Amino acid sequence: METPELNDYRAHLLDALDDQPRRAAEERPGFLQVLVNHERIGTLNCAQTDPSFAYTARERSIQHLELRSESGALIGGCVAPEAGQKSVRVPVGKGSLTLHVQNHFDGGSLRVQYEVAPGWWSQLATAIGLPAGAAVASTQASPVWSMTTAFAQVVLAVGVVALLAERIPVWIGSEDRAHQLEEELAARQSTQDQIDQVHRQLAQLVESQAAATAVSRTEQDRIAQLNTLIDTVAHTQQRLNAQVVAVQEDLKTVKTDVAQEVQTGMRVAASAVEADRELVRQDLQAVKSVNETLVKQVALLESRNRELHARLALTSLEVAKANASSKPAVVAKNEPPKETPAPTAVAVSDNLREADRQAFMFWVAFQDGTTEKSIEDLVQELNGIKKGPMKSGWYSVEVNLPNPEPPDRFLESVKRAKIVKSVVTSKAMPPAQ
Amino acid sequence: MSPKMPDGRTMRDGQPVSARLNNVVTTEREFDELVTKSLPELLDRATSQTKRFLRETNQWGDDITHEKLALRWGYELVERFVVFGRTEVPCRPFFLLDSLIAKSFSQPDPLCYHKELLTPVGRFLDGLASRAVVSRDALIALFYHFYGFSQAHVVKLLGFGQAESQRVYKNFERWRQSGWQRTMNETGLSGSEIEILEQELRTRPDHLNNEVDRLMPVLQSHYRKSEPEHYPCLSEQKWGQLFHDDYGHDYRVWHLAFCRDCFLEVADRRHAEVSNGLKPQVNLHIHPLKKGGVLALFGGDRGGRHHGNTRAQRLSRTSA
Repeated sequence: METPELNDYRAHLLDALDDQPRRAAEERPGFLQVLVNHERIGTLNCAQTDPSFAYTARERSIQHLELRSESGALIGGCVAPEAGQKSVRVPVGKGSLTLHVQNHFDGGSLRVQYEVAPGWWSQLATAIGLPAGAAVASTQASPVWSMTTAFAQVVLAVGVVALLAERIPVWIGSEDRAHQLEEELAARQSTQDQIDQVHRQLAQLVESQAAATAVSRTEQDRIAQLNTLIDTVAHTQQRLNAQVVAVQEDLKTVKTDVAQEVQTGMRVAASAVEADRELVRQDLQAVKSVNETLVKQVALLESRNRELHARLALTSLEVAKANASSKPAVVAKNEPPKETPAPTAVAVSDNLREADRQAFMFWVAFQDGTTEKSIEDLVQELNGIKKGPMKSGWYSVEVNLPNPEPPDRFLESVKRAKIVKSVVTSKAMPPAQ
Repeated sequence: MSPKMPDGRTMRDGQPVSARLNNVVTTEREFDELVTKSLPELLDRATSQTKRFLRETNQWGDDITHEKLALRWGYELVERFVVFGRTEVPCRPFFLLDSLIAKSFSQPDPLCYHKELLTPVGRFLDGLASRAVVSRDALIALFYHFYGFSQAHVVKLLGFGQAESQRVYKNFERWRQSGWQRTMNETGLSGSEIEILEQELRTRPDHLNNEVDRLMPVLQSHYRKSEPEHYPCLSEQKWGQLFHDDYGHDYRVWHLAFCRDCFLEVADRRHAEVSNGLKPQVNLHIHPLKKGGVLALFGGDRGGRHHGNTRAQRLSRTSA
């Protein structure tokens, strides 16, 4: 969005930013506001004898430190690391502020100290080698101008004396020349002494200047070394950055290769799975066709089975007919013939089943020495009929069991008889002894 | 001689200024020179990042008020960058600015954003309060702009002695000379907007004062966090004790300027010493107090406020 009002506002802010260093430089150190993490935590009065300010934060570390004048102008500040320390020196007026921040992860401490810049006289005194206390004392006792004034007075006095020496003989005349010469000589002597003294002072000053120059050179050398060191660090940082970029590019390449390999593998695996799926589909079709064949065969077999069942039924009927025709002949040999209706094949089989259900035949062996009478009594007691003669010690007996009574219970009761030795139910033939 | 770019921006070492902001700066002098030449780029970068922050936090509206808000915050970020950056060389200026911005916006609730503060009166109040956090002149002036308190009344209300009184007078003077105008300019309030506010204050003072009364808690609750954490609201008894035992001068200024409830309570308690016996109330003033002006403090009781024509601001010349 571009409007004249917005452009004016932007231009004004740029002017204010441009003007900021000048405003900060114009501020005279007085009450300085200390702001930590954009919160005001106190003031530093630079007019005190030992202007310093200390603060301890307990919950958050000191990340932003600002020093502002009372009018709000930003004088100095720094951004401190979340853990660790930082020291900064900020020039303010003729002095400087030393900021020291010590941070740990859950708090930090801050110390701000204002130092007034020392005067040139005390710097000179320090260079000469006078003790700092003496320098301060002399600074206080004899101000800067006092030395300059004294020197100027001496030079002025010498000039005046020289002029007088030149003019006074002309004014006074030759009579007093001898006296004047004496005075002149004395004055010259005095002047010479003063000039010698000034020379000595100048020599001292030259020595001091030489010492100061030497110190300055040493400092310049140190600064040059520091600059070299900083350049080295900067180059190292650049190299590191280049290496980081190279490593990042390598990582990108590796990522691309890995992605391609993964895609190829995926493609191969997918094709293999597809082939397997095709094989399984073919197998399923083969199984399906086999299954259909089997179903047809089963159906064929079932139809044959039905035919066989039908044939079996016919065969059974024929067998039943054959049995029916042969059985009366056998019975006729042992018993009088019974009147039986001419049965059909189905009726015969039904009657046989009915006889099985109602008549129960078993074989019984008796204890040795059992009389025939006792045997007859038992058979009668059982309401049974002896079927045929004894074979190998076994009598076949047929009884009509009442329907609810199971044969096993009946046989158990027969076994309990004292004369009974053993009981079996095999119908085919009497068991061999 | 350095070649000129099409837009007039100088180049050095064959590089435009904006490109050099991505390179390493090794000395403070180089940093100062580069920053001085590239203030527009730095301001635009900080502004665009502020816009992005406002958009991402759903606080952006596509209008000139939001554009001005983003510019104002960008300006404050660049101002800090210009001062802090000198202590960070060797550095890459753009990277350093980005990290400074990221660090600022990662603070809890970094902007005082409220839709109702985007009106002219809201922006006026926001600009004052925002400035008061960093400027003691603006802080002292809040008592006048919010309640109509003159220097003498501020001194009496806060119970200051001789030395502190002189500071209060000095604060008022500097604010009158340059502080207020600079704050208005940096807030982005144009002359016409200030005129409109003045007009509204003349025609509908009750309405405007009610609006200020309503917006003050929003503003103050945001900017009050600039005071130390161990400065909470005090009970009436503790306020009495603080004044009686004569301690906590700094606390009085900071807390009472940024807490309407405590201010009204203390002013009410000390009104016998401060005023003519009437209760204090919100009484907006747009321009700073004129030199030598003396105000009658409180106009009307709190139940029935009287502003406007009956507003009891009576200016009289008492000194040159």
